[in-house]
Amino acid sequence: MNKEAIHHMLPFAPDIFTLPPYEENQPVLLGGFCPDCNDYFFPVPRYCPKCLKTIKKKGIGSKGKIYSFTVVRTPPPFGLPSPYCVGYVTLMETGLRVFGLLDTQDIDRLKIDAPVVLSVESLGHDGKGSPRLRPCFKLQTKK
Amino acid sequence: MALASVVGVGIIPFGKHPDKTLVDMGAEAGYLAIKDAGIDPSRIDAAFFANGLAGRLFGDSTIGQNIFWELGINKIPVMNVENACTSGSTAFYMAYNMVAARQAEIAMVIGAEKMCVPEFGLINSGETELDTQLGLIAPAGFAMRANRYMEEFDCTPEQLAQVAVKNRMHAGLNPNAFFRDPITTEQVMASPMIVDPLTRFQCCPIADGASAAIICSPHMAKQISRSVNVEAVILCTGSYGNRQDMVVWETDSRGCNLAYEKAGIGPEDIDVVECHDAFTISEILHYEALGLCRPGEGPRLVEEGQTRLGGSIPVNVSGGLLSRGHPVGATGVAQIHEIVTQLRNEGGTRQVNGAKTGLGHCMGGDKAGDTKSCTVAILSV
Repeated sequence: MNKEAIHHMLPFAPDIFTLPPYEENQPVLLGGFCPDCNDYFFPVPRYCPKCLKTIKKKGIGSKGKIYSFTVVRTPPPFGLPSPYCVGYVTLMETGLRVFGLLDTQDIDRLKIDAPVVLSVESLGHDGKGSPRLRPCFKLQTKK
Repeated sequence: MALASVVGVGIIPFGKHPDKTLVDMGAEAGYLAIKDAGIDPSRIDAAFFANGLAGRLFGDSTIGQNIFWELGINKIPVMNVENACTSGSTAFYMAYNMVAARQAEIAMVIGAEKMCVPEFGLINSGETELDTQLGLIAPAGFAMRANRYMEEFDCTPEQLAQVAVKNRMHAGLNPNAFFRDPITTEQVMASPMIVDPLTRFQCCPIADGASAAIICSPHMAKQISRSVNVEAVILCTGSYGNRQDMVVWETDSRGCNLAYEKAGIGPEDIDVVECHDAFTISEILHYEALGLCRPGEGPRLVEEGQTRLGGSIPVNVSGGLLSRGHPVGATGVAQIHEIVTQLRNEGGTRQVNGAKTGLGHCMGGDKAGDTKSCTVAILSV
């Protein structure tokens, strides 16, 4: 997909990741940060779940390691690929462990502890057929 | 002393019932429980109906009033309960608490589900939830637990498959189970892959079904024969803290320990267990949370046959969710039905010899890598 096309596409849900254009930056997952509790949360909660103070929206990471994963071979929901891959990723930047899609192209190379990096793509639809942006972790390639 | 007793249980065979409505099934199971208790329905003073999916599948609500009316139960408080796969056990928890708090002398629970219908898709935690929209379906959560478990501990896919083989063998002895023909480890492994590493026979089947239970005060129980004491019923939810350990399940252990504490006993005192084997890996994780073995020892427990009928601690002698089938709203009540049957020594060919104390364990829903609900009931005679 060319970069122009995703600029105009809606995210599958608000406030989950930074939106394109990314220019020099990487897409980043968004979470909540409570300065009083010095704690991060994902997704962004309405109030701090610990002290109920106002929460700050903040990037929580774009790189991590696969904690676990699976390949889903049932008919996919929301127009996702068939089969598709999902996993829990432990983010390097904040230590949060988040659920997310993994790149189907990596299907035969997925491994626990493998390093991954976030990308944002046109992936699946909104439940009614309109394409949507979704976050997806890809295996980090060695340079 | 126990604060309540089960005095009647009922169940209809789990499977496909295209000719029956949800109300038909619920009323039939309820009728059996009333006859089993030998009480007049007019003496019941609180009633709970558990169901997980009728709102979504059929647009139905407040079904309990329809079912209980068919059984001659009306005017009293009737409450409808939804709590994912723990809907039935949550209703039992509420009925127990109502009796224990002396707000009811006799309370009744019916759990029923009709899900073998064309509209049915795959179970998730709710269409609008973030994880669901990123592709999380119930089996995927447990497949990830299985892969992580196999990374951290000595466990093979064949050992996981043995849970399905064992529970199918048990189901062969239970006329109310959905799938009763024996299967081998090879057949489980060769069945279609659903979510790696879980094959179809390692995922519980959907089913139609209903089950019911009647709970009463200790005073009332003295007048009714074959009563079974309820020593403790607990319900707990997850912490949803980040990050979750998907192998050593904090919420599961916390729930089990709370139930043991309330009952004043430990895992060594349990003779028979019905646990939430929605997937083969689930049963292994629950062995460890229940304290039947230490973390990492679950695969060996099933391989050695210790959780088989005749083993040191038989688990899911009814066939479990894997082979009895999992009509969501009925499952938690069906577990109570099985434990009561065992403690009354009425289990027939699947009777656990000398069973005096039994435990029912249920889990439902998924949130942030944790469960939405976990229930544990401990019963004794």
